[in-house]
Amino acid sequence: MKTLVFIPAWNEADSIRAVIEDAREHVPGAHVLVIDDGSGDGTAVQARQAGAQVASLPFNQGVGAAHQTGYIYAMANGYELCGQIDGDGQHPAAELARLLAEVEAGRADLVVGSRFAEASGYRTPWARRTGQRLFSLIVSTATRQTLTDTTSGMRALNRRAMELFATRYSSEFAEVESLQQAVRAGLTVKEIPVSMLPRERGSSFITPLGSAFYIFKTLIVLLVGQLRPGTPTPAPEADK
Amino acid sequence: MSWLLAATEPVVRLTPQARIVAAILAVLFMLLILDLIRRDKLLERYSIVWFLLGLAMLAGAAFPDLLELIAKVIGVRDVTIGLFSIVLMILLALSLNFSVIASRQSKQITRLAQQSAIESIDEDSGSTEESG
Repeated sequence: MKTLVFIPAWNEADSIRAVIEDAREHVPGAHVLVIDDGSGDGTAVQARQAGAQVASLPFNQGVGAAHQTGYIYAMANGYELCGQIDGDGQHPAAELARLLAEVEAGRADLVVGSRFAEASGYRTPWARRTGQRLFSLIVSTATRQTLTDTTSGMRALNRRAMELFATRYSSEFAEVESLQQAVRAGLTVKEIPVSMLPRERGSSFITPLGSAFYIFKTLIVLLVGQLRPGTPTPAPEADK
Repeated sequence: MSWLLAATEPVVRLTPQARIVAAILAVLFMLLILDLIRRDKLLERYSIVWFLLGLAMLAGAAFPDLLELIAKVIGVRDVTIGLFSIVLMILLALSLNFSVIASRQSKQITRLAQQSAIESIDEDSGSTEESG
């Protein structure tokens, strides 16, 4: 199947090369695309040197816009399968290959790699962890299926899911809201346990207070999401 | 029906001085908007609502009965409070409207950025295409 692996990256010049090489090695026939979300540290140059194609957003637009760029590109270029891993090196491409295989086998439209099902030594700050539990609880309740890692950026999807996300995708609450969106649109979402690595460098910039605010915002987004129509909405008009 | 105090108690009205000041401000406000349009600082589509607001200010100053009617409808005895309430409502509605506009524009900007990003791949694909 024609496969795209895209890597959203914002200021990941130090880790991007290794991520690209990892993706090359473990997902052989795939086309690797780095989506540079307005980095200022030469991420795009590093990625090109590693031999990947780079889609450069002219300015930082947030993780959701970067993901959606990947989906739009994949849709427009006829990719049947699409996988994504973060540019910071915490997602081993070998695990992504397992997710892709699940989608290819037709067992789900969207497969998410969950870090919480395995002893991977993955540690997150308590506030973040509490938030993730809370998201998990709410998303699981909302979607009536168990999803443990709602903020995971390691995913694989087929054209059905790509089409949905290319049309509408949350910019700020990308991972969490899109799960809700997918389930409500009638897609089959599956979560499989994967091992993840701690971030290679750089700490999470999220403070407890920041986390609390983020959780609060996400809760509101999810509540509103429950009120949206369940079928995919048409693309937003350019102007009214 | 004696509990309907607002109908019987004396009404607090705007003073003539306040009305004159309001009228002058309204005229100045509308002149400012015209000037902004003239200097291309304000698009016509966003100016109309402001111009209407200026006209409403002028109308309020010229016909105080109008304000009294509003005060009576919302049930306050003091015309100035009625005035403040209405102005607050209008400003609230306007700022909400601008948030809606800002959201729409931010969505449009994102789409443009994404299009530009995808086009930037095709530009550099000639030199670095070695994948596959």
